[in-house]
Amino acid sequence: MEKQSGYTWKLGMFVTIGLLLFIMAVYFIGKQQNLFGSTFHITSQFKTVSGLEVGNNVRFSGINVGTVEQIQLINDSSVVVVLVMKEDVRKFIKTDATASIGSDGLMGDKVLTISPGLKSKKIIEDNGRIASVDGIEMYDIMKSVKKSVDNIGVISDEIAIFSHSMNNGNGALARLVKDDKMANSVSNTLSNLETGTKGFSENMEAAKSNFLFRGYFKKKEKEKKEKQEAKKEKQEERQEKQEEQKQEEQKQEETKKVETKN
Amino acid sequence: MILDIKNTFAEIGETTIFAKRFFKEVFIPPYETREFLKQCYVIGYKSLPLVAITGFIMGLVLTLQSRPTLVKFGAESWLPGMVALSLIREIAPVITALICAGKISSGIGAELGSMKVTEQIDAMEVSAINPYNYLVVTRVLACTLMVPILVFFADAIGIIGGYVGINIHGDVNFYRFLTQIVQSLEYLDLLPATLKTFFFGFFIGIIGCYKGFNASNGTESVGRAANSAVVTASLSIFIIDMVAVQITDLFF
Repeated sequence: MEKQSGYTWKLGMFVTIGLLLFIMAVYFIGKQQNLFGSTFHITSQFKTVSGLEVGNNVRFSGINVGTVEQIQLINDSSVVVVLVMKEDVRKFIKTDATASIGSDGLMGDKVLTISPGLKSKKIIEDNGRIASVDGIEMYDIMKSVKKSVDNIGVISDEIAIFSHSMNNGNGALARLVKDDKMANSVSNTLSNLETGTKGFSENMEAAKSNFLFRGYFKKKEKEKKEKQEAKKEKQEERQEKQEEQKQEEQKQEETKKVETKN
Repeated sequence: MILDIKNTFAEIGETTIFAKRFFKEVFIPPYETREFLKQCYVIGYKSLPLVAITGFIMGLVLTLQSRPTLVKFGAESWLPGMVALSLIREIAPVITALICAGKISSGIGAELGSMKVTEQIDAMEVSAINPYNYLVVTRVLACTLMVPILVFFADAIGIIGGYVGINIHGDVNFYRFLTQIVQSLEYLDLLPATLKTFFFGFFIGIIGCYKGFNASNGTESVGRAANSAVVTASLSIFIIDMVAVQITDLFF
């Protein structure tokens, strides 16, 4: 009997620790899936769940707070999703919270996100229902992409027509781009214009010294000078005022110092 | 050739009958409790160091080996989950079973074989002790119950090995490491793997016992019994594993 007890306690310890490890594993995995501890349920109705599966995580403010327990079709256009959540977070979820389905990472699982509402202060009840926001579907993205691609098609067609008429047409623009003669004549016109404007400005100078117009130009110069003088006077006044203010401040400070000393 | 195949089938048939007898006798008293506990001690406790070292090394090596690939994909944070998943689902059960096949199956085969050769089993029968009940039932039962527990140990120690492996290159808090593991596990990972180990244990025991019980006379047949017990048990472990994976895949 003594010999037996030598190994039985070792065997007992071995078996106990082994089973404890197993039970711990079961417990922690269960805890991860909210099987133990108090929980509550929320339902939400979606048009499409876009690949959400039972067991996916539920997030609130970015924290995993529960899992998807059940996904059920009720008719051809709506799916009811039942969520199991930790009791601790119930007080943060109000009746106007919304549920939306997004994906976790680029290729990852789907995630159901609960976003807080704005107004309601009533805490959600067990088995309560929250509104859902339909997420962006790949289909919708493709639809809008198709629309813009169609538009681009129309635009490119027009550009093709335009460039064709530019290359082959006889209009003014096409000739301007293509025709050498046209280019030459345009540059000639421009140089003519230049000389023309030079002559015009000389004419204008001559007109200034003409006795008929002299009075008018002199008047203008006088007005300018008066304006500049007025500006200068104003600036000087401002500077004087600032200096006075500074002096006053200095005086006040001195008097304060004197008072504190006394 | 044909004779070989026929012999193989005959042996499988005999093993099946042998196993059937186990299920019949396991419920019939007298229960050999003390012998059963002693076998549990020998099979379970005495194999623990071997299983622990193998498990630790498997965890460590698996972590270090799969790390470069995951780093290439920028998925280094998946390392704990991946290591734990492969350890619990596949590597710990199979490696532990293979080690047990090597240690226990050969031990049982040699022990029962030499008993058979020296006619101790016949002597038992003469003295009105049921040798099957005393020798086979206790050993097979002990194997069936102890191998799963050894696998739990291998799981746990393998995970610790993985933690050491991760901390060679980076710095991960143990608590964070455990959370990452628990997050990536489900019951579906744990339960089929655990169920499978009962079958591993049963087959290790029954094959060792069958080979030993049916050793022919002569000393060399003891060696042959031990040898073929290891080979057959290892092979059957892989076959059971394949079947188990397919069944798991089918249902879940």
